[in-house]
This record gives sequence, C-alpha cells and structure tokens, in this order.
Amino acid sequence: MTGTALEVRGLTKRYGKLLAVSDLNLEVRHGEVFGFVGSNGAGKTTTMRVALGVLTPDRGEVLWNGAPITFEIRKRIGYMPEERGLYPKMRIGEQLLYLAQLHGADHASASAAVANWLRRFGLSDRTGDEVQKLSHGNQQRVQLAAALVFDPVMLVLDEPFAGLDPEAVDAMSAVLHEQATAGVPVIFSSHQLDLVERLCDRVGIIQRGRLVASGTIDELRGRGPAQFWVDAPNAAATWTAPLRGTQIVRTDGTRYLVQLDGGADDQAVLQAALATGPVHEFRRHVPSLLDIFREAMTEEAVATPA
Amino acid sequence: MPRLPETLNTFYLIARREFLTRVRSRFFVIGTLVLMVLLAGYIVLQTQVINRTVPTSKLAFVGDAQVLAQPLQAAANAEGIKLQIRSVPDLATGEAQVRSGALDALISGDATSPQVDVKEDLSSTIAAPLNQIVKAVALNRALAASGSDPSVVEGKVAGAGINVRSLDPNATVRTQREVVGIFTAALLYVALLLYGQLVAMGVIEEKANRIIEILLSTVRPRQLLFGKVAGIGLMGCLQLALLGVVGLVATSRTHAIIVPNVGIVAVAGGLVWFVLGFVLFALIYAAGGSLVSRQEDAGAVIAPITMLIVGTYLAYFFVAANPDNPIGVAMSIVPPFSPILMPGRIATGDATAWQIALSVVLAIAAILGMNALAARIYTNSVLRIGARVGFVEAWRGVA
Repeated sequence: MTGTALEVRGLTKRYGKLLAVSDLNLEVRHGEVFGFVGSNGAGKTTTMRVALGVLTPDRGEVLWNGAPITFEIRKRIGYMPEERGLYPKMRIGEQLLYLAQLHGADHASASAAVANWLRRFGLSDRTGDEVQKLSHGNQQRVQLAAALVFDPVMLVLDEPFAGLDPEAVDAMSAVLHEQATAGVPVIFSSHQLDLVERLCDRVGIIQRGRLVASGTIDELRGRGPAQFWVDAPNAAATWTAPLRGTQIVRTDGTRYLVQLDGGADDQAVLQAALATGPVHEFRRHVPSLLDIFREAMTEEAVATPA
Repeated sequence: MPRLPETLNTFYLIARREFLTRVRSRFFVIGTLVLMVLLAGYIVLQTQVINRTVPTSKLAFVGDAQVLAQPLQAAANAEGIKLQIRSVPDLATGEAQVRSGALDALISGDATSPQVDVKEDLSSTIAAPLNQIVKAVALNRALAASGSDPSVVEGKVAGAGINVRSLDPNATVRTQREVVGIFTAALLYVALLLYGQLVAMGVIEEKANRIIEILLSTVRPRQLLFGKVAGIGLMGCLQLALLGVVGLVATSRTHAIIVPNVGIVAVAGGLVWFVLGFVLFALIYAAGGSLVSRQEDAGAVIAPITMLIVGTYLAYFFVAANPDNPIGVAMSIVPPFSPILMPGRIATGDATAWQIALSVVLAIAAILGMNALAARIYTNSVLRIGARVGFVEAWRGVA
C-alpha cells in the first residue's frame, strides 16, 4: 500500500508561555520508515504524543488514511515513549500479554504474539521473570516487544536507539525495516543521524516546533545550493573571483569546496579551474544528513532572528 | 466497532490486573491470614476465659440426703449452673474423694439438716439453691406431720413471687451494641485508610516508573482510574469478607455475642458502607496521588486525606456517646464523614431509617461529584512528570 497513512495538520501546542510546536504539518506514508530529527526540545516528543492522543493539541488535527483518527485506530499504534516504562514487578510474559490485550488483541493471538516476539528476542526462557531482573538491554527488548505484540497498524518510536549497544542497534534496525516492508509505517526520532540516513525512506527536520524540511534524503540534498569539490593544485586562493554567483565555502589543502548560487554554471567553474593548470578532481559534493541538518539549523536561525 | 464492549473489556482487564497483582502479593496473603488468626484467636480466647470462671460442680449424696439430688439438679439446670451428681458407695469413700478433689461436696445425713462435707468452702452457687431445697423438704415434712395436704400448700406457694419491673431492659444489649459499633467504625477506618493509600501509591507507582505513558496511549485516563479503584476495592472487599466470616463464625460458635443479629447487621452495614466509603475516598486518594511523580512526595498529598479519616474516626466516639446530639447525627449523614460514622450508628441501632436512606443518597451524590473532579484532576496531572502539580493547575489543566 502506498499513500498517506498518518497526517498531522497545523499542529500547535503550548505549555504555558512556551510554544512547543507551532503549525506543524507532517505525513507518514504506508510502508515507509520516517525519521524525525531535531535538537532537544524541538518538539519531536510533543508531536508524537499528540499523534498518539496522549496529549491534546491546542490547534490542529491528526488524520489516518485521510479521515480524523479514531480512538480505535490509536489503540492499535505501537508506541515506545522516550521515557521507557514497564511494571518492574510484573512478569515479562504476563506483562506483554496484558499490554497486548489492552491494545485490543484477543487472548489467543496475544499469547501467540508474545511467545513469538520473546523467541525472536531470545527471551523465551525469561518469560516468567520479573522485568526488574532483566539487564538494561533486555528491558529495552521487552519494551520494543510491548509495541509489537498486538500486530500494530503503525509504530511510533521516540528515541528507540538511545542507549543501545551496536548489536541491539542492528536488531532494532532489522525489526523496523521488516515492519515497514510488511506495510506498517514507522516513525521514529533519533539524534543518530547516520542511522537515520541509512534506515529512513523519508526524513523530517524539526526546529523550535516547526518542520523546517522534509522529504527523501535525495530530495533534501537537492534543496541546498550545488557544491563541487575542485582539486586544482596550481590555483590561487582567489581563482573563483571572476565567476558570478560562486564562492569557496571550504578549503582543504589544494581542494576547494565551491558553492554555486541559483543560476551559476558548473561548466564555467570547471573551465576557470582548468585555466589555472591541472585539475585532479571535479565532483559534485553529496551532503550527509548531518550537513543537511546543520544547513537547516542555520537557515532557520537566519530566518528567525532571536 | 461497538464501543461499549471495548470499553468494558478494557476496564475489566485493568481491574483484573490490579486485583490479581494485589491478591497474589505477600502483603495480602500473609496479612489476611495473620488477621484471620488474630481475630479468631481473640474471640475464642475471650470466651474461654469467661467459661473457666464457671466450672462444673461435682456432688455426691448419701443416705436420706439423696432425696435432695433430683430437686437440686432441676434447680441448677434452670439457673444455668453446671452440676454433676455422682454416686459413692459409702460415706468414707465420699470423704476421701472430697479430700482428693474428685468431689466438690459430699451431702449426707438427714435431708432437713444435711451435713455437707467440702474440702475448704462451699460455692455460693451451690449453697443457695441447696439451702432452699432443704427448707422446702423441711416444710413439706412439717406440713405432712401437721395433717395438711402439702400439695395444696405447695400450689399456693408456687403462685407467690416477686414481680420484676426492668427500668432499663436493654442495658446488656446496649453495651454489646456499643462494642460492635466501635468495632465496625474502627474496621472501616482502618480499611478506608489502608486501601485508600494503596490506590494513591498505585497511581504514583505508574507515574514513577513511567508506564503511564504507554497505558494512556491505548486506554482513556478514566478507564485506568476506575479500573484501579475497582480492582483494589474488590481486593479490600475480599479481605474484609474473609475477616467478617471468621468473626461471625467465631462469635456464633463461642456465643460471645448474645444479642441476635447484631453481628450480621453490623457486617452487612459495614460492607455496604465500605463500598460507598472506599469509592469516595479512593477517588480522592487517586486524584491526590496523580499530582506527584515520586513515592517520596506521596506524603504531602496523602497526609491531608489521612487526617480527614483519622479525625472522622475520633469523632465517632463523640457521636456514639451522644446518640441524640444533632451535630453528631448531621455528621453521620453527610459525606465525607458518613462512611465511618453511619455504619457505627447502624451497629448501635441509633440510626433511623430515614437517616440511613439520606446518608446513602448523599454518599452516592458525593461519589458522582468526586468522580468528575477526580477524573479531571487525574487526566490533567497524570502525565506531568517532575515537580508536584498544584491543585488549581490540575483543575484548569494548563501547564
């Protein structure tokens, strides 16, 4: 299935004087992994809580398949809050079964799903143990299982990778990818941009309660001005000066990162470089998500002077 | 999707978890067993002590005095005195048995002036009726000797007697009822305090370990609140009912309470008022608990509610001592005092039907009002982690 699954429209939420989220629009499509990126306090958690119905927004609405989301749909969204939480003294199997039933699963399918996920996470022999007796990593696995055991229609995960060891990160990534492939849309927030870049079909960058950029990684790369790496050993530092609409944004030995504004011609840059002597490298710079993120932050800071 | 079964199912799941978690806990299993043993032991021990003060008297009659045996047994039965009449072959054997303690008294000689051999002293419970019977035998014999018909005289004597007019006929009943009343009020006081605090701690626990956010992403705050109150309330009912059954069985077996139905009325009234009082106070405790995020902060919100309950219990002694005082009567009708005061007054028999009816209606009204208030405070504060949420903030719902 393609098309929009979850849509947040015109979301605004204040905490007293603090404007946490301001007129935010967001959409997550069926079968995609959507990464939610932003600084601490940018409004990611608030947006997720509103989507789940845990928080009531001041303005805006949440849609599911184009219609206002219902309590029944929300019940079937798997949620992993930033602040992890389980009953520490309740047995793992019982707890997962209880949570699955609360999410609307019947006893039989819930039991099967609990056994299934515990096996998958290598915790079958711990079914009867209290949660507090598990290691931190295993508690995280149980927490993820809690979001999966009722066959969710969507996954909303707030910082699912925080505090995981590399092995657990791989396991988590595999589960998210698998769920999305099965058609379950996944939205997660993270500060690990390399992970987001690798895992996500689309990314949203949020800054001070506003979505400043969203799209596929490629789309986001295409947003900024074109940049080229030019390795011209004989060139003077000012070799781009005659060219209109270009500037050197970084110098690395004999390598220059040249940025071209809107109408500037990349072939003119190459000719100017060749005019100085040999050119060892001429290639388009592919910014990482970190670069895009920094860029977006800077743009935002310029657009809204403090 | 049909809404009602879904909502009910969620409520059932939550209440069942709360109930099972607590019924399986050591607090419940050991606590209930200890309380049951203590209660039964107390009642049995008390009646044992009372019974030991009236031991069975063992008597033997020899010679002419044997005519006294039958009338004494009859008199003893009528008075509720425990008496055992034994036979001895001769005087010497009887005397030896009195010395050894196997017999309490050996009665011998002429029936009108019998010799009573005792080890040390004759118990007055035996001496008084025995004296009367000896005098009656003497009278009969004197009448027969004088030629009168003893049966005619006996009939006239039987008709004669004193007329007792009791000015305070229910004094004993009254005392027993007062004891049962205090017991009922005390039990409700402890139950409301204990189970109410369990509700508050349960609410705080869910906030403290952060599971609240997962729960609220799939259930409504009210379902969670009412499920918790119902589950803990059922556990409380079960514990109280177990104790009530033990108390009733122990008292009926040992005849500790002679007033008919006092125990059953007290237990029934107590259970009804436990349900009303518990729901009312559980909602207050839950709303209070939702304001804080850590167990350490619990005291600040629980203490005022606890003081209210303790104060109400202390007021019961005033109410019980002054059953007709209008302030006491009014307090027993109005919540939040009625859940402790009214069942106490029902047990003592002071509450009239209209007072009971009015207090129940007011308690239900208070529960409905508190339900709206508690649900609102709970919904507004239960997700706020960190510093204690102010009451006004919780009501308005602004951060």
